[in-house]
Amino acid sequence: MAENNFRALQSANKGKTYFLLASMGVLTWLVAYAALTYFGVGTASTMVPLAVGFALIGVWGSYYGSDKLVLTMTGAKLVTREQAPELFNVIEEVVIASGLPMPKVAIVEDTAPNAFATGRNPDHALIAFTTRILEVMDREELQGVIAHEMSHVANRDTLVSAVAATTAGAIAILSDFLTRMMWFGGGRNRDRDNNSNPLALVFSLVILILAPLAAMLLKSAISRKRESLADATAVSFTRNPAGLRKALEVLAADTTVVRQKSNAVAHIWIESPLDGSSVSKLFSTHPPIQERIATLRAMESLGPESSN
Amino acid sequence: MELILIGAVVLLVIFVIAQYNRLIRLNITVDEAFAQIEVQLKRRADLIPNLVETVKGYAKHEQGTFDAVVAARAKATSASTVADVAAADGALTHALRGLLAVAEAYPDLKASANFLSLQEELSTTENKVSFARQFYNDNVRSLNTAVKTIPTSFFAGLAKVGAREFYEVENAADRNVPNVKF
Repeated sequence: MAENNFRALQSANKGKTYFLLASMGVLTWLVAYAALTYFGVGTASTMVPLAVGFALIGVWGSYYGSDKLVLTMTGAKLVTREQAPELFNVIEEVVIASGLPMPKVAIVEDTAPNAFATGRNPDHALIAFTTRILEVMDREELQGVIAHEMSHVANRDTLVSAVAATTAGAIAILSDFLTRMMWFGGGRNRDRDNNSNPLALVFSLVILILAPLAAMLLKSAISRKRESLADATAVSFTRNPAGLRKALEVLAADTTVVRQKSNAVAHIWIESPLDGSSVSKLFSTHPPIQERIATLRAMESLGPESSN
Repeated sequence: MELILIGAVVLLVIFVIAQYNRLIRLNITVDEAFAQIEVQLKRRADLIPNLVETVKGYAKHEQGTFDAVVAARAKATSASTVADVAAADGALTHALRGLLAVAEAYPDLKASANFLSLQEELSTTENKVSFARQFYNDNVRSLNTAVKTIPTSFFAGLAKVGAREFYEVENAADRNVPNVKF
């Protein structure tokens, strides 16, 4: 029964994220272990920090400057209150409901209805809307969308996805290094312990080959849980599941997708810009939109929860 | 042995400080949330004279409705305790609904740009008031839970923090369907 309540949904999704992030940690540890078994202490102790370092450098910049970077990547333009007074009114309403600072607001010229949020922390948050979403949505729906985006800000999803990306990146780099070394026969005989058993070696090999795939799957799963969490948090802000539900129905009915299909920024939009057929469910950054609608519907049937 | 003892004392002190600070923080958040309600109520009160003037320009014979709004506004701006502010807020919301219902009967008024922009301002402010109210009540709930549950309850006296009052729009008229006359 508790599944229909936004508070329960919030804590369930948070719990799942922690579990998935912990799984990422275990996976990293497994890869490090595999490197250790296969190549010995000497190689592993330089390779593991090196891979983590590379991944950190790669992700840190895009995390720290996410608000500015995404602006250039998506072609979004910052707008002022005078340019979009009604949009600002609705955003201010949600800002008050959430208790967060006012984010920067941007608009993307695009024929597909969509929106996203980014920024390294609530003080540097940016939320953006396509021109189309502002045309097709009424005030109630827009409020739901804004609440979803502000939920990403409140839940610090830019940080969560940066952590996930760093770990997945480190694992990918590491396993790439190591499989290459394996083909070229380097390292292995030089400093490996002689007493490691063949079973451990086979196990390590399997880990090295499968780890990047597993990391990708975990990263996508984390992104999906954060989307569900943002839906639940949005309801905690507006206490109106119907608004977001109607908005998602509009998005589901719409077949256009944002022009840029860049995989790199796919996860930040409210509706996945990559069409469902080409991306398998396991790799998807978003839960199926029908599932999200069904969850919100279930919340509505309980009626709006009284505020105290 | 001594080290363990010192460690235990340090941990205890940190624990007490954390509980104390949590209560103080919750209390400050409630104050801020209430201030936000007042800011939004003030905004709404500031919109009213302009709105009344605009409606008057088209609907001269609705003096009773105008008087009700002006009286409710005066009461709302002079209220100070949580209960008073909440009651005056409810009465003003009710009076404003009456005013907007009057406007429904005047197509020229409804079409005027001035009225439309005032209506947008008023509806966003109403939403802001109700979200500010919700945010305040959520924070009061967290504070009251902390004040009444262990372990924070032990430190409520020390921090001079007590349970706070919910913001309830306790106005019988607000619960009823507004009586619309045309």
